[in-house]
Parts: sequence; structure tokens; C-alpha cells
Amino acid sequence: MLELIDVRHEYDGRVVLHLDRFAVPPGAAVAVVGPNGSGKSTLLRLLALLERPTQGRVLLDGAIVTPGGAARRRVTLVEQRPMLFRATVRENVAFGLQVRGIRRADVNRRVENVAARLGITPLLGRRRHELSDGEVQRVAVARALAVEPDVLLLDEPASSADRAAALTLYRTLAEERTRRPLAVCLASHQLEDAYRWADDVRALTDGRLSPVTPENLFRVELMAAPSGDLKHACVGTVEIAAMTDRTGPAILAVPPTDIFVSREPLASSARNTFHGRVIGLARRGSGGGAVHVTADVGVELIAVVTEEAVRDLALTPGTPVVFSFKASAVRVF
Amino acid sequence: MDFLAEGFRRALALLLSGDAEVYGIALLTLKIGVISTVLACGLGIPLGFVLATRPFWGRRAALTVVNTALAFPTVVLGLLLYGLLSRRGPLGAAAWLYTWQAIALGDVLLALPIAAALAAAAVQGVDPRIRRTAETLGAGRWRTAWTVAREARFALAAVITTAFGHVVAEIGSAMTVGGNIRGQTRTLTTAVALYTSQGDFGLALALGLILLLLALLVNVALQALQGRGHA
Repeated sequence: MLELIDVRHEYDGRVVLHLDRFAVPPGAAVAVVGPNGSGKSTLLRLLALLERPTQGRVLLDGAIVTPGGAARRRVTLVEQRPMLFRATVRENVAFGLQVRGIRRADVNRRVENVAARLGITPLLGRRRHELSDGEVQRVAVARALAVEPDVLLLDEPASSADRAAALTLYRTLAEERTRRPLAVCLASHQLEDAYRWADDVRALTDGRLSPVTPENLFRVELMAAPSGDLKHACVGTVEIAAMTDRTGPAILAVPPTDIFVSREPLASSARNTFHGRVIGLARRGSGGGAVHVTADVGVELIAVVTEEAVRDLALTPGTPVVFSFKASAVRVF
Repeated sequence: MDFLAEGFRRALALLLSGDAEVYGIALLTLKIGVISTVLACGLGIPLGFVLATRPFWGRRAALTVVNTALAFPTVVLGLLLYGLLSRRGPLGAAAWLYTWQAIALGDVLLALPIAAALAAAAVQGVDPRIRRTAETLGAGRWRTAWTVAREARFALAAVITTAFGHVVAEIGSAMTVGGNIRGQTRTLTTAVALYTSQGDFGLALALGLILLLLALLVNVALQALQGRGHA
């Protein structure tokens, strides 16, 4: 178990991360989601023992660990824009094995093995300037997996890959986790990736874990529609309409910024219109004027509106309210 | 302009004739240059690494000292060294004054801050992800430093070239602590100064050409080494 306890981290006196506890259990697949600048990369660097937190402790299997110690060899980070050394792909993948003093024959065997699993065998003789961004990403993951860490940390692993490459990467990670005990913690700003792949999704906002994890996400069963792509799925006591060609198990996400909030039903093209009552108002972030309005409309939904809209609609807990959104605004994955 | 052409003709004749004195001066310069460059870079490059990568109290002051030392007048350096090496000086017992070792010592002191400052800049120019990647893959302090050095090898080769260039072109300290003794401490720069003042322009020019040739050879050698590396 890799843990951060009572961690507070500062850059130039500015607090960028403040966590009471963050744990990556053995064998877990954890995703940390959040916008750019929310502290995801800093979190991963602390977990990777590359930086010492300004305050707080990092624990590995209950023991305090520090940068530079032997524990670092059990945790490996792949950065958002990974950097390959000025060498061939083979030498890059072999690097971590060589620094562990592994015999050359074993190094070669393990390099070939991991290269085959990641589909980079044809790239082994190339150098970094001969690779695309997506290939660099795959080589970096192969390089990290070659050392067989207990915990693999990935910062936006799909950011420089196309969708097909990203899916291959996630499939490889899943296979790797069935092959041997491996905890993976990835940071992403793509909810879709996080929910598709992780067992545990946590949201980071302004360096803190958000008590409300990514909003308006529902695991559903999509029924086949008689015609067209407009599908309906039961969520709580309501039925959400979504445009998708998928059927079967899926996750629906309703972006809070795509929900219209009104006091009366709107005459509009929105296929989803739900009546309910406001149960909470929360002002997040550093005062940008956005208010998260939570309403019970048969299921709890969160909409993001402006402070001005809250005033105009006189929204307070208990206020009757109507939430509307288009079927095409619902994301399905 | 005639005297220039005559000077070049004389220079070529001296070079082609294999004049023992000319080549003796060149070899001594090369010997002092190589030894001082190796010592200065051997100490200065690791110092540059430390200054660039290890946070410690007074690091900024240390960088300022090193950068200031870049502009230290060589003749003043020679004067201070003369004081130290003279018989009444604290290092007088070594009897190094007017020896090639004294010139080499002055050259090391001259090139050391150059090597340190330029190496620090070279290391600071390496993408910080290289260090983090080496560390996260399990490299210890030395292996990480070596990995960073490999990434900066072109810039570090330039450090060595620059240090060598300064050492072989230096005259102030070499004249003061070497004494320009024929056959013993006469280097290319001190000889050029001497023969120019004596009006022997051809000989001075021949020695100047050799000096340029030495610098060229070192650059070509280092470029050949760099050429073996790839991005």
C-alpha cells in the first residue's frame, strides 16, 4: 500500500496539494481526475518519491519512505510527456534493468518480452527522434513495466496517443494486472478513460480531493432501441435519454455545465426534462462565480450555473426546480 | 603588406623544416594545455554538476563567485601565484616558480571556473524530465548524474574545447610564473610575444599558426567524438 498522510506541498509558498490521506492499495486501479493545474502531476511525483512533500509523510507498506531510498525502485512514474534518453528504444527499455544490475542475457529477454506485450518490437532499434509521440508514450510505458514495479504511476497516459493507441494501452495495463500483482494509479482529465478503466475514481480540485467525485455519472444498462440511436436508461426513478449506438452495460455522464436550470419547464428540444427540488448549493474553486446546484429530480443531479443565475432564479435549498438537457449532451462510455 | 607575406613565407618554411625549437615550444604548450585542461575539467565539471543540481545553502553565492572568476585577469592571477610560489611565499618550498608546473597550475586556476560555470549551464540545459526519469527507473545518484551528462555531452564537449582554448591562449600568468625561459617554460603565447617584440615577425607568425592549428585539431577531435552520438 502506497500512502500519502497529512501531506501539504508548496511551490514558492503556494500550496499546490493538500491531502489528509491518499492511498493506492496493492493491486488497485485508481484514477485521479481533475482539470489542468489541479495538482495531479504533483500528486504523482510525491507518490513516485521524486519530491519530498513540504509537510507530511509518504508510506509504503506502512513504513515511511523518502526520495532517494530503496523504495523508489518499487514505484515507477511515466510522465505526461515522457522523455526518452538519447539512445535506442532497446537501450531505453533496458535502462531500469541495467541499473538494478540484472545480467545482460536476462535484460535482453525481459526487454524483448515487454516490447512484444506493448507491440513495440519493430521500434527497438530506433532512436527517439524517429518515433511519433504515441510511440514515445508506448516505449515509456514499456520502459516502466520492464522493471516490474509494485506501483505504476501514469500521468495522462493517453494524452499523446490516438484513441486506438489509448485503448491498446489500457488493455495492456489490464493484462499486466492479471499477469502479476500491480497497482496502477493514473491521472487523467478524461473522465471517460478513468471510468472505462479504473476501479476507483477520485477527483482532485485545487490540490484537494473533492468530496463529490465526478458528477452525474451512472452505471446503466442501455436497451436496444426500436429504431435510431436515441436510447433510454433507467437511473433512479427517472429515465435518461441519450444518443448512442451502444447497447448493454455502459456509463452515462451528464456534464453539469450542459444542464439548463429553470423554475418552469422550458419549451425546447431537450429530451430530458426533470422536476425536483434543490438540495444543495456549493461554491467551488477560488471564486470564479460558478455554483454547483445539486437537485433531487428522482436521482441526484448536479448543474453548474453562475452566481447571477442563482440570484435570478432565487435558488435555495428546497426551491422547486427543473433540470433540462439534450440527449446528445449525455456522454456514453 | 610585404612584411606580412614575408612573415607567412617564413612561417611555412619553419613549419615544413621541422625546426626543433618551434616544435619543442609547441609540444610543451600541448603538454601544459592537455594536463591543465584535464585537471580543470576533472574538477570543474563535477563542481558545475553540483552547482546545477544540488540545492545547498550558499549555492547562489557560489555561482556568483564562479561566474566572477570567469573574468579574473590572468596577469593578476599570475601575480598572486607568483607571490605564493616565490621563495618567501607559502608554497615556495615546492620550488615551482619558473617551471612548466607553475604555468599548468595557473592554467588550472584559470580554466577551473570556466569549466564549472559552463558545465553548470550545460547541465541546467538538460530537460529536467531526464533526471526524473532516471530516478524513477531506479538509478542512484551517480547513475543519474551520468545519464544527465550523456544527454549534455555535446555541451560538455564544448566546455572542454573552451577550457583548452583559454589555456593554450593564456599569456599573462604563463609569462609571470613561467618566466619564458628558452627550452624550459617558453610556450607558444610567450614566444609569440617575445619574438614579436624582437622584430622576428616570421617566427612569431609561425608559432601563432601552430597555436591556431592546435586549437583546430582539438575542435576537430571533439567534433569527431560528438559526431558518433545521435539524437
